[in-house]
This record gives sequence, C-alpha cells and structure tokens, in this order.
Amino acid sequence: MLNNKNTPVASSEATPVASAEVPTAPTWAAPPTLEAPTWAAPPTLVQELALDARHLVKSFDDLRALKGVSFDVRVGEVFGLLGPNGAGKSTLVKMVYGHVQPNSGDLYILGMNVRSSSREIRGRLGVVPQDEGLDVELTVLENLMVFASFFEVSEGVARARAYDLLKMMRLDEYTHEPVANLSSGYRRRLAIARAMVNHPEILILDEPTVGLDSQVRLWIWDFLKKVKDQAKTIILTTHYMEEAELLCDRIAIVDKGQALAVGSPQDLISVHLGPQMAEFEVAGTEMSYYLNRIRERRFKFFTVGSHIYVPFQAESDANELLTIVNSRRIAIRRTTLSDVFLHLAGHDLREEPT
Amino acid sequence: MILHWSQIYRVWRRNFIIFKRTWLLSLFWIVLEPLFLLAAIGFGLGAYVKTVGGLAYVDFYFPGLLCTTSMMISFFEGAYGNFSKLNSSRSVGGGAAMGIYSVILISPVTVPELTLGELFWAASKGMLSSIGLLVVGLFFGLGHTPRILVVIPVLFANAWIFSCVGMVVTSYVRNYDQMIFPTSGLIVPMSLFCGTFFPVNELNSILKSVIYVLPLTHSVEIVRKLFVSGFSVDLLINAFVLVVIGILVTRFALRRLAYRLQP
Repeated sequence: MLNNKNTPVASSEATPVASAEVPTAPTWAAPPTLEAPTWAAPPTLVQELALDARHLVKSFDDLRALKGVSFDVRVGEVFGLLGPNGAGKSTLVKMVYGHVQPNSGDLYILGMNVRSSSREIRGRLGVVPQDEGLDVELTVLENLMVFASFFEVSEGVARARAYDLLKMMRLDEYTHEPVANLSSGYRRRLAIARAMVNHPEILILDEPTVGLDSQVRLWIWDFLKKVKDQAKTIILTTHYMEEAELLCDRIAIVDKGQALAVGSPQDLISVHLGPQMAEFEVAGTEMSYYLNRIRERRFKFFTVGSHIYVPFQAESDANELLTIVNSRRIAIRRTTLSDVFLHLAGHDLREEPT
Repeated sequence: MILHWSQIYRVWRRNFIIFKRTWLLSLFWIVLEPLFLLAAIGFGLGAYVKTVGGLAYVDFYFPGLLCTTSMMISFFEGAYGNFSKLNSSRSVGGGAAMGIYSVILISPVTVPELTLGELFWAASKGMLSSIGLLVVGLFFGLGHTPRILVVIPVLFANAWIFSCVGMVVTSYVRNYDQMIFPTSGLIVPMSLFCGTFFPVNELNSILKSVIYVLPLTHSVEIVRKLFVSGFSVDLLINAFVLVVIGILVTRFALRRLAYRLQP
C-alpha cells in the first residue's frame, strides 16, 4: 500500500529500527539459519503508516468540504492539520473515525481501509471530538468505565486505567461527580482521558484547546508533549499557529478543502519562505512604487490587502530592506507558520474563508 | 455487517446504569398512573357494567391496561427519551453538544448495535413497567394463573414494537412539539380502540379491519386469552401478526437510524 511518494520515507524510518535490533541479534540468532531471512526482509515492508489519505473528496449538499486531499501520517509522529474554521479539518478527522464517508478517494488507517474496516479502526483510535461529547447523564468515573466497555476492555482493567487517568488528569477529586458539575477545562481533560482509556494507537484531537483559557491550554500542551514521548501517534486539528508549531512534527496546511502543503514546521517555513520576514503596510497609491523597488533588488514578496510581505535569508538583507522601504511601519521578525499559511492561502488563519 | 451481541448489551447497560439509580422511584410513578386507571375504570366504572363477553369488566379491562402500559412507556422512552441522544443540542458552554449516539459511535460500536441496544432498553423499560402493574394486579386478584409467565414475553414483544415506533418517530421529528402528532394520532387512539376498553366486535367492519392491522389489538387479544381461556390455535395467528409487525418496525427503525447517523 506504499506508493512512490512514501518510499524514501519508509527507508529512512526503517534504518533506526534495524540498528536498534542489532544488539539483540545474537540471542535471537541461536538457530541462525532460521532467523537470518527475517532480518533480510525489505525495509519498505517494516514501515507502517498511521494514516494514508489519497485524493479524498467529500461534498455536503452544495458545499465541497474536501477537494482531493492527500497526505500521510507516520507511526509515532505528531501530525497537525492547520487551517481556519471551515477548512475541512473536522471533515477529514471524522472520516478517520467513520462518521463521514468519502465520496471518492481512499483513506487507510494503520493499513486498514476506512470503508471496510471501520469497526477495527475505531477500536485502535482514541478520539477527542471538538465539543467533547461527554455523557452528561453519567459521573466522571462512569464516563470512562462505560466508554471502556464499548472497547471491550474488561471491567477490572478499565477501573485501574480509569483511576490512573483521573490522577494523571488531576480529576481524581471529581471521580464520582456528575459531568455537569465540571468546568470547561476539566471537561476537556476528561474527554482526553476518555480517549485514552482503550490505550489507543492513534490519538485524535479535534481542536484540543479551543475555547479554553491560556492556563488550561498550557497544561494540555504539556500533557500532549508527554504523550508524544510515549511514541503514540497523535493527529490534531488546530487553527492556532502556536499550537501546531509547538506540538507537531509535521503539519498539513489545509484551506478550503485542500492540503496546500505538508512538512515539518521548519521545512514549511524554509521551503516556502525563509527564516526572516519583513512586513509593512502601505497606502494603495504607494503599493506599486514599493513593489517595484523590492523587485529591482530581486527580493521575493507577496501581498495580502495593503500589506507587503518580504521573506529573506540574511541580516544584510534586513538592512537593505530598511533602506529601500523607508517606512515606519515595517516590522522585521521571525517567519511563522501563519506567514506560510498567508502566503499559500492568501488570507489570514483567523479569517473565515469566503 | 456482523452484529456483536455483547456490544448491544453494553449499549443497553449504559441506560441501565442510569436507570438503576432511581429505579424504585421511577417504577412507582410509572405504575401509579395505570393503577389509577384500574381503580377508576376497571373497578369504579366497571361496577356499572354487567359483563363483557362473559367477563367481569375489570377482568376484561386489565389485559388491555397491561398492554397499553407497556406500549406507552416504551413508546415515550423511544420517542422522547431518545430525541436528545440522537440530536446535537446547545451545550452549557454555548457550543454545539453532540448527541450521545454520535459519541458512542466513536467507539467500535456500530449503528445497528447501537440501535438494537437502545430498542432493547426502551422495550425493557416498557416490559418492566407492565410487570410492575402485573404484580400489583395480583394483589387485586387479577391474573392468578401460571400462564402469567407467558404473558411477560408477550408484553416484551409489544414493548419492543412500540420502542421501534418511538425510535422511528424521533428520527423524523425536528423538536419535542412535533411528537404530539404521532402521540395523538396513533398511540392514544390505539390505547382507546384496540380492544382495550370495549370489544373490537362492537366496531363496524371497516373500522374493525383497520383495528386488526394495529399491533396493540393482537397483544391485548393474546394476553386476554392467556388470562381467561388458556392456549388456543388462534393465539398463534395473533402471535404471527405481532412477529411480522415486529420485524417490519425493527427494520424501519434500523434504517432510519442508519440514515440519521451515517451521512
């Protein structure tokens, strides 16, 4: 199921796996003739993708939510879908857990097709929906226990996991409280705990920190970094640039139902723009004057509204820019993912697409 | 798709956990209403009626009351009880709160398993309520026959059918107000005319043919025959009609929920 696009990825990932196994080889090598072929297996077969999306298309009545989205997520990485509200992120995520069916294209989760293996896939996922979806008729503990039962986790194991998770999420003092008594921050934590009660291989978080105050947000970011260390695959959607930059190994920039670019935050910045950015605003009449001056010096640039953005590489470029742009409103700063989004989508991350 | 029966049970069990907290109080209030009817109509008004088909009025009325109770409770659980589970609503925080059905479907539970588990629960509640009434009836000298054990599965079948009807209703209506149409147009007339208060034979032939299409008529006839005359061949005809209607409404409910939950 690996296509050409993935092959280099597969081989580069396979190398550390093989080297890690080498020290143990002698113990395994007791019957050497039998074990040898196992080690010689082609490395491309070792690599498994957590998610493999190929040309996904989805329409709702008159709205085309996804217009042919392709990307993949490797096992063990934190992958972010970054885009504004309405970009199609939630639709993509819902396809993963089978609440939305693709019109065309294919989606494989852990090597299984969502069309034919939805139940098996869902058994290996942990999902935190955007609106939490807690069971308000149950207590905090019952939320975890009942949900664990749907994953066929035995009662004893579920109880042990539930108490561990409640402690980890600092929810233990609310164990027997009805969910309705929890504040929004605690509700989000409970939703995350619930998603982990089946020990999922992939944790999916749809806008994990939207609508939370900054303190809770920081706490959740911290927590997710710890989960990341346990080498679980995490897929999250967000419209917060900082969240994507801080947590994600790789990101797909999504806008209007399309994946505009995929890569690590650093790569996206260096490939599409550059490490530094000059941004300034000009009056409409001055626009062409400034653009000509920037063009003369062979700077790359893009404009959004009355703003001109000039990505550049070296400090000397900054000085040159300051001399030709003679504007008090010029800001020289580090390039962010928001700039990459702006460059690719032509509008701000926070704006609703028109 | 393969059904996992254990998952159906777990969906049922979620409801049971909630019900368990207040079961005695719930059952008390549920049984109270038919008990008042039994007192006022069965014993009170019934005292002025000589006999119906050779029966004291209260003996004629009690089987109808049992079936009506199982119908009402499972229908209302299926319709009103499931509405907020199926539909998303405004949450306390102001955002959209997804219905619990969508949440359950994040897990490996499938839509048919969820639907059957919920139908099974609404039917259980209907059956449990009518059993409550059955037990109370014993104290009033009603239903003193070992065939009462056969009556229980009939009450369950009746409850199952109306939990399906409730589920179908809730899958169509947009709000609670709209549920008055099937309630007043179907459920209440059934509770009045399906051989509950007076024999179906009193009706003219056109009305009678309509009444015999309705499931409650057959449940009432089975229960009444079991109470009064024992087993007979025509019981099988009534049972056959119930089974056919049961299969049809179950399939309808499954289709509606699949449509609502799998866009």
